[in-house]
Amino acid sequence: MTTPIEDFRFGPFVASVVWLLFWVLIIVTVIVLPLIFVILFYVPLPLVNGEVLTPYLFLSMMIDPTRTLPILNFLIYTEFFRVAVFPGFMYAALIAAATIFIERKFLARMQLRVGPSHAGREALGTGFEGLFQLVADGLKLVSKEIIIPAGADKPIFWAAPIAFVAAAAAVVCLIPVAPGWVVSNIDVGLIVAFAIFGFFPLIEVLFSWASNSKYPFIGGLRALHQLIAFEIPFILSALSVVILSGSLNLTEITYAQSSYWFILFLPISAFVFFMSSLAELERIPFDLPEAESEIVAGWLTETSGMIYGLIQLGTYVKLYALAALFVVLFLGGWMGPQIFPDQLGPPGEKPPLLQLLTLDGLYHGPTANAIFWFTAKTFLMIHLMLLIRGINPRIRIDILLHTGWYKLIVLSFINMFIALALIYGGVLGPGGLLTPN
Amino acid sequence: MAGETAAQFSPIIYMLGFGLLVSIPALVISRLISPRRRYNPVKFLPMECGQVPSGEGRTHFMMQYYAYILMFVVFDVMAIFLYVWGVSLFSLPRSATLPIIGFLAIMFAAMGYSLYLAGRKGIW
Repeated sequence: MTTPIEDFRFGPFVASVVWLLFWVLIIVTVIVLPLIFVILFYVPLPLVNGEVLTPYLFLSMMIDPTRTLPILNFLIYTEFFRVAVFPGFMYAALIAAATIFIERKFLARMQLRVGPSHAGREALGTGFEGLFQLVADGLKLVSKEIIIPAGADKPIFWAAPIAFVAAAAAVVCLIPVAPGWVVSNIDVGLIVAFAIFGFFPLIEVLFSWASNSKYPFIGGLRALHQLIAFEIPFILSALSVVILSGSLNLTEITYAQSSYWFILFLPISAFVFFMSSLAELERIPFDLPEAESEIVAGWLTETSGMIYGLIQLGTYVKLYALAALFVVLFLGGWMGPQIFPDQLGPPGEKPPLLQLLTLDGLYHGPTANAIFWFTAKTFLMIHLMLLIRGINPRIRIDILLHTGWYKLIVLSFINMFIALALIYGGVLGPGGLLTPN
Repeated sequence: MAGETAAQFSPIIYMLGFGLLVSIPALVISRLISPRRRYNPVKFLPMECGQVPSGEGRTHFMMQYYAYILMFVVFDVMAIFLYVWGVSLFSLPRSATLPIIGFLAIMFAAMGYSLYLAGRKGIW
């Protein structure tokens, strides 16, 4: 098996690329295209504007502006669009990518790291240095060899990163981004979110046990301890929100904040929730499970290549989910002053191309406004989480347990009693002083 | 009715499935284009900072702070119980809060005692 690396030659490299393209072309024409048509033959196609949406019509929408808007209007209200693109996966993944970029720039500014604040200034201009580092990092992760340590439990080792991304995506689908724009509007959304957050330490412990190595094992056990220290404050800090809003549905919790944000009355709960979500994310004051200066990389020690990449993607999607959950619970979700116009472009009849440019019938002012405010608040929260990473050291594990059990639980109860006093004192709640009629 | 309740949750399953749909091809593509030559037994050893690893990877590990794990089992359930009360607070009469305060008092006493016991390192 031991073969020396062959010398790199440009000719064979080009030949291999051409061969690869040839095979892709062959497979597309012989298998994929016929398969698409066979599937389309059996699938009942939807009606758009009185016409059956055939592939021809779908492709011609790129040229014909009169068809584009109805088709788009149909597509964005499908379940698939919600799951895959807007409040769902693509939106979260884009925010995750933006978070990675912002984190590097932000930390480079704070900690005098030179890379992300200088690399690529000639090509991209000031403000966007380090954007290529993101691309390079992604390419590096995809093209690196995946090494599985000897004696590892292979099925779990492969399944854990996939489960991590899937669980992170499952949290994202509970978050309402705008009125009506939520993938799954469940009556017990908050409890479901807590239930799914409970999966992550489980995945970490499984992965660390499966990788048959000592450092990951220690990291996994630390993840478990972090769960038991911070799960109860995490759950209890959201209890006062539930008491004030009278609902577990995240959309209804947002509507309950239409006149005032809950952070006005529950600042201590918000603080506890923020701290516990940092612990849930394993970010810096609480990054014991992957303490890179103590136990190599913690439970990520044996990860390599795309396995590490997927876990990072899952972590950042989770970061978005927790920041968004904070926004929904305490910062009023999508509520904000109306700054977007009700309609784009001039009023009245418009030529087709202008209709397309101004998204006639597709654009909805209040929804655009809601999405803007939600995203802005989420980025504010993400910046706060990054700021904490920039200025803090790591805490010891006994201090972690002490903080969670002795301080944060008591703090969240204090704010719960404040909320109860406000309700029974006639300030909040039905018939209260501040309740809108 | 039960079917409707279950159908509320189906988007979570779709989303989980979409997560799988995205991450499995990523692993497959990575496996296709990444190099896999140079077999070397040392390469596949568990990481121990350059040393040849000694002993099993899955060892018995001294799990300290065991008391907190026992407490977690009890008080996590308590936290979820409180949610049931918190959601229906507005529809309950005010006198219904008193039993909850009593419940919390009992739980706090138990928690205080168990934290006191957890702090006594001699018995663990």
